[in-house]
Amino acid sequence: MRRLYLPGLAVLFICLVAAAAPLLPMPDPIRQDVANRLAAWLPGSPLGRDEFGRDVLSRLIWGARSSLMVAFIASAIAAVVGTALGLLGGWFRGVAEFLAIRGADVVLCFPPVLLALLVVTLLGPGTATLILVLSVLYLPGFIRVSFAEVLSARNQDYVEAVRALGAPTMRILLRTVLPNIAGPVLVQFSLAVAAAVVLESGLSFLGLGVVPPTPSWGLMIRGARSTMEQAPMLLVWPCVALTFTILAMNILCDAVRDIADKRGGGGAKRLRLVDRLLPGLFPPPASPAPLLDVQGLTVEIAVPGGVIKPVEDVSFSLSAGRTLAIVGESGSGKSMAATAIMGLLPPAARAADGVARFEGEDLLRMPEAQRRRLRGGAMAMVFQDPMSSLNPVHRIGDQVAEAIRAHRDVTAEAARREAVDLLKRVGIADPERRARAYPHELSGGMRQRVMIAMAIANKPRLLIADEPTTALDVTVQAAILELLAVLRREEGMGVVLITHSLGVVAEVAEDVVVMYAAQVVERGPVAEVFARPLHPYTRALLAAVPDGDAEPEGIPGVVPRPDQWPPGCRFAPRCAHATEACNAAPPALEGQGDRAVRCIRWREIAP
Amino acid sequence: MLWIAKRIGVSLVLMWVVATVVFLALHMVPGDPAELLLSTGGAMPDAYAIAELREKLGLNRPIWEQYLAFLEGLSRGDLGNSLVDDYPVAEEILLRLPRTLELILAGTILSVLIALPAGTFAAVRAGGAFDRAASWIAALLQAVPVFVLGTLLILLLAQTLRWMPAGGYVPLAQDPARHLLLLSLPAIAIAKGLTATVFRMTRASVLDALSRDHVRTARAKGLTPRRVLTRHVVRNALIPVTTVLGLQMGTLLGGTVLVEYVFNWPGLSTPLLRAVEGRDYPMVVGIVLTVSALFLLINLAMDLLYAALDPRISRS
Repeated sequence: MRRLYLPGLAVLFICLVAAAAPLLPMPDPIRQDVANRLAAWLPGSPLGRDEFGRDVLSRLIWGARSSLMVAFIASAIAAVVGTALGLLGGWFRGVAEFLAIRGADVVLCFPPVLLALLVVTLLGPGTATLILVLSVLYLPGFIRVSFAEVLSARNQDYVEAVRALGAPTMRILLRTVLPNIAGPVLVQFSLAVAAAVVLESGLSFLGLGVVPPTPSWGLMIRGARSTMEQAPMLLVWPCVALTFTILAMNILCDAVRDIADKRGGGGAKRLRLVDRLLPGLFPPPASPAPLLDVQGLTVEIAVPGGVIKPVEDVSFSLSAGRTLAIVGESGSGKSMAATAIMGLLPPAARAADGVARFEGEDLLRMPEAQRRRLRGGAMAMVFQDPMSSLNPVHRIGDQVAEAIRAHRDVTAEAARREAVDLLKRVGIADPERRARAYPHELSGGMRQRVMIAMAIANKPRLLIADEPTTALDVTVQAAILELLAVLRREEGMGVVLITHSLGVVAEVAEDVVVMYAAQVVERGPVAEVFARPLHPYTRALLAAVPDGDAEPEGIPGVVPRPDQWPPGCRFAPRCAHATEACNAAPPALEGQGDRAVRCIRWREIAP
Repeated sequence: MLWIAKRIGVSLVLMWVVATVVFLALHMVPGDPAELLLSTGGAMPDAYAIAELREKLGLNRPIWEQYLAFLEGLSRGDLGNSLVDDYPVAEEILLRLPRTLELILAGTILSVLIALPAGTFAAVRAGGAFDRAASWIAALLQAVPVFVLGTLLILLLAQTLRWMPAGGYVPLAQDPARHLLLLSLPAIAIAKGLTATVFRMTRASVLDALSRDHVRTARAKGLTPRRVLTRHVVRNALIPVTTVLGLQMGTLLGGTVLVEYVFNWPGLSTPLLRAVEGRDYPMVVGIVLTVSALFLLINLAMDLLYAALDPRISRS
């Protein structure tokens, strides 16, 4: 809202001055006084006189009046007529739609100035012609905006409801639909006024708009051109006035549009490409390390009003050739933990604490260049949605070959051949031909196979798969999991599999980490955890496990948002075993052998 | 291929619609067109002149006959003769169109060369000093009308500093250096709006592309930041930019009328403005149709470019 004030005040000031022009103590803007022509300054004329001895300041203000009046009237006519046409077209469809939309298209076929000149030829210059031309030119914007809004409003529940009650069409349109399209129409109106001021001044400048002696900024610039040598300021004043007015209007339009957009839905998150480089390098440990060893990983995101921690003190480790599953509901922080390990966090987030040692080296404190050489090389990642994760404008063979050439110095031809082999390896039939296909020409399962081919292109020792089957059909899911299992066996990779499905965990993983609200709540070998779950959340997940691969059901409530975590145990509000002690203090992760659990009552309640 | 044929068909239909609207516009104006065209300053023209003009414009014939004759003339490239000097409109346009096209081309190249890299850089360093400065300059450029910029350029560079000629034209063959010198200021003026719009669009589009999943995939492959930017961000971000480029050409084409007037560039603007003032109907119609056709043609080219950049369009 604050962005509205300054440009809003500027526009308001200009409008008020223009409106008050007849009341202001100023000389008559059209009274000529040839004796004082081009005077730089006279008492009562702070900006001097023009080529006919008329007062410049007075003409500037009266010029604003005529420009703004033409622009407002034309935009208002366009808004009323255009919105009406759009409403009727969108509501009745059929012929009304055809006339409204095609009519708008026809206007848009002409470059605006040319259409204006055509009309001026036919009707002669003048204020009335200007208003007609401008309102026709800005009609399409209103028609399109209101048409689109009505189409979407038509199908919304409240409109359906009013319709079902038998309200007459006119009343529905005026009382129900119109208030809802007010925002976009207002945005369109502010755009039209700003554009109309520009076009009016242009036509007046050509001598085809406002007719002299009526003052207008365009006419003033036109007149001052001939006396540019003697009185350059005469030219500068209307130029500055015009530019300043349009600038203020444009900024106001942007602000209004942003506010109107925000009501419709949140703006997309802005990202920066350049990664933050985390300083310092941890000394590698002396003892032979596991493939991936994560200790105390914490991710922070700065939000308005503080810092949230979507991943907090997460620890686990993975040995080569094994599969570790991370399970949890949406919002538990499992994907965020994986992206932190890969160094692919969005710029708003940062790995604030902890270490993630890959073959002994801390990924979190490694220079970005070194980490980049590992990514897609020794460690690779497969993402959830293969459609959006593949670039739609490049052939899939090229995208796979690109992964090869990013890490190995091979010719384009060799990389292409290798890409075809990889596609064959992940079970894509007719790989030669498919390599030339674009992502949208493949099925979901096939796209995920391409993603996997890309990930294994450089024989990674660690593969992180982030819900690789969630976006796929049930029938395809098993095939993709099977493919991952085969590749793991053949390549000896360590696999981190992120999933919300315990069914998947049971099938492919040896170890499991259960996450809830950014924390690890239970950890251990799959067989043991499944046979004897220690944490109430794990038990609830197991009890809720459905036959298919749907999100677990049956646990009341949802994962709380990171800014609304309970002070004690984060699962307590949803836990059947919660006591007062659970809410008092956050429980610690207690270890016992190769298992760990974060619950103060696990000994009492575990079977 | 079928898609391209369809798109060309749409352009032809639109061209026909434009021609029909222009034809109807004259006949929908209340009163007799011939009388309207001859009346200046409220004085009633004499009956003989009106009759002669009616005969010449074919206004005595039924309207559908006139319409068919109009379309038939168009298809032969015959746009009629000027009412002022009886010179064929098509020849006048052919003489001047290349100069206007040169201005449009120079302005477009200039805008794209400045706006694409600037927009990309501003997005990559969003919120940085360059981004803020460039965004303000773009806002200012968008606000200053094209004829104001042109006039101020003359005032500053020609009138005050005397670095540049104030305007004019010399054929390229006669004096290439001076030709380019005279071209530079009008080209800058004409480029200003497009530069601002393309900059803003490129910036928004690159920002959007940066947040896409496939960019994360590209980074997960271990590609260098430069390669991620060129191949996976800018390449994708260009697609929406081409659409805006096409639509903005309408403003640019209109802008040439003003810029040619400001800088005395002998393109289509001079005969157009003279014809509008003198109500030289065939000349106005001829030039409006030519420029509209150019506009449709540019948008056709942009759509084809769009399809070439985005495999999802033409192949599905």
